[in-house]
Amino acid sequence: MKIIDIAFKDLTRSTRNMFLIGMTLAAPLLITGLMYFAFGSMTSGDVSMTAIKVGVVNADVMPADSPLEVPLGGNIRSMFFDDSVKSWITANDYADEAAVRAAVDAQEIGVAVIIPKTFTEEYLAGKMDTAITILQDPTLTIGPTVVRDMVTSLLDGVAGSGITYKIVNERMEANGQALGPTGISVLFERYSKWYTDFQRAMFHTPEKAALVVTSPAAGGESSDSTQNMMGLVMVGQLIFFSFFTGAYAMMSILEESEEGTLARMFTTPTNRTTILAGKFLAVFLTVILQGVVLMIAGRFIFNINWGEPDSVALGLFGQMFAAVGLGVLLVSFIKTSKQAGPVFGGGLTMLGMISGLFTTNIQLPDAFNAMGNFTPQGWVLKAWRLSLAGQPAIEMLVPFIVLVVMGIVMFAFGAMMFRKRFA
Amino acid sequence: MNAIEVKNLKKSFGDLQAVQGASFKAEAGEVLSLLGPNGAGKSTTILMISGLLVPTEGDASIMGHSVTKEPEAAKASLGVVPQDIALYPDLSARENLVFWGKMYGLRGAALKSRVDEVLDIIGLADRQKDHVGKFSGGMKRRVNIGAALLHKPAVIIMDEPTVGIDPQSRRHILDNVIELNQKGMTVLYTTHYMEEAAELSNHIAIMDKGRVIAYGTHAELIKMVGEQTRIDVTLNTEAEKVLSVWRATEGVSKIDSTDGKVTALVDDSNRVLPRLFDAASKVNVRITSVDIQEPNLETVFLHLTGRALRD
Repeated sequence: MKIIDIAFKDLTRSTRNMFLIGMTLAAPLLITGLMYFAFGSMTSGDVSMTAIKVGVVNADVMPADSPLEVPLGGNIRSMFFDDSVKSWITANDYADEAAVRAAVDAQEIGVAVIIPKTFTEEYLAGKMDTAITILQDPTLTIGPTVVRDMVTSLLDGVAGSGITYKIVNERMEANGQALGPTGISVLFERYSKWYTDFQRAMFHTPEKAALVVTSPAAGGESSDSTQNMMGLVMVGQLIFFSFFTGAYAMMSILEESEEGTLARMFTTPTNRTTILAGKFLAVFLTVILQGVVLMIAGRFIFNINWGEPDSVALGLFGQMFAAVGLGVLLVSFIKTSKQAGPVFGGGLTMLGMISGLFTTNIQLPDAFNAMGNFTPQGWVLKAWRLSLAGQPAIEMLVPFIVLVVMGIVMFAFGAMMFRKRFA
Repeated sequence: MNAIEVKNLKKSFGDLQAVQGASFKAEAGEVLSLLGPNGAGKSTTILMISGLLVPTEGDASIMGHSVTKEPEAAKASLGVVPQDIALYPDLSARENLVFWGKMYGLRGAALKSRVDEVLDIIGLADRQKDHVGKFSGGMKRRVNIGAALLHKPAVIIMDEPTVGIDPQSRRHILDNVIELNQKGMTVLYTTHYMEEAAELSNHIAIMDKGRVIAYGTHAELIKMVGEQTRIDVTLNTEAEKVLSVWRATEGVSKIDSTDGKVTALVDDSNRVLPRLFDAASKVNVRITSVDIQEPNLETVFLHLTGRALRD
């Protein structure tokens, strides 16, 4: 019972220690929050991009004796009115160039696309320098660039299909055959398929094959990547500060020694093992409480999915064993609380860097990653990476067991030093 | 049965022999003062009796329980008021007392009512919810004492509890000691203030250089110096000029000088003082002030050691 009394007293004092509260809860959340605001918006599903306002003048007309059923300008126009781009492009038709210029000047639209009257005619005549005019609001950069890239990408395809049409048409004429409207449609369809496949092969992913911009609001995948990034950032902070908390909470034994309250406890009918056990229990509880609070905060503030419940439990308990063990060991070497600053600041930061706690989102060389195998923080990070990846508890047994063993060894050595010191 | 019994207690730190065979006892219900200058070995003796230091040799018992062989039983009968404040500044007075009560095994309603009683005893019931860190030095000392009273110990040890506090708090603490003793508590009180030892104690053990050099009641100790009177004299020049002459003067039993002040023990001040003035005149030394004190514990210490108590 006295063990709990001592632990409860230490916990009460901890909750009144503003420095400890700041370092255990506020600092990790603030640092993660800064990362979230700095980088999270690039991929976050919660931040919307302003729609690009595009005005389209399609003056293209069907030339006489055209083998086509509709003029090609309609294909370019329809690209801006397609359902797939509606969430980030707002397009409107304009009657002529003067009207669309006036709209750009009045900043009613950001970009104007003008398809000339002779677009289809020149295409069929094999002219590859057909001009499509793009007008832009000079104060804008991203929107016009996106539209220009879209048109360029389409024109590349159109030019390619034009060359294909010309060659096929010449060969067929040489053989005394003609390419009718149906044949031209089949040709365009087959060319388009080839062109799309070619771009996919070139850029590896269909999303990059052409100018495809995923809507932030609809992009489930980008939302996942934000979660993953924030999860790793938060894990780095959680681990670093849990080890700090383990050491700092353990330092209360030095403070009590300096304040005389530890000696006073020794004058009561309470044996020294009980007193030390109470102090250690307080550190265990502080670290676990910190972990739980930070994980709940991370879930609600940064939408982090920590993993399967049993995996999370293993990660949290493994972290607790290691953090308390290292805390007890570190403090057992310190003579006074004044020495704690450099030891905690220097020692724990160095271990954190070696373990990769501050570079969780960066792919580091294998040799650097291997150094983490020699630190408890490195193993905690391994455990959390598995949990964040949704691995089941069975996959986390190795890092968990390593952490428990490390924690017990460090704890036992530190406790032995304390017993010796306070004998 | 003796409430406290100390037998040939010794403690060495390397070559330093801090306590060199201290022996004394206190009967149940009495106040025993350990009197001596700083460095006399009082605190080291107290630390051994409290179980905080293991004696190099010898033993002590509290209510019949050896502090080395039955430490838990001895500690259960003992309340210790440390010399320095040993409390949690970020806990309230009540929270401190509750915690220390639990360390002495008190629980539930018994703990609550005892904490209330102790808050009344130390006069801080109205400030019980304030953090101890906000208290004045005297108030902290009172809580420091209160924490040792919670389990109603048979014996309480107070290690210089009035050092560095204001007169009002000092008076409050001394009254507390008297009140506790009247309720039957045995008090072992260490101090280097002879007035406190004289006021509080049934018996006084005078310590110097790790040894108990005298033990007895206040009257018994005074009797050791007989009718001798202490005279403090200040001079207009170095004491060495006159010290050898005065040492040979009839009626002077002991004489010593510190910081330009000469302290002498004399048989009859009315007869001896004129002789001291004459002798000083012959060596051209002028006496600038004279203070005559009737025999007291300072005189006893001077008589026993040749040094003033506060040297």
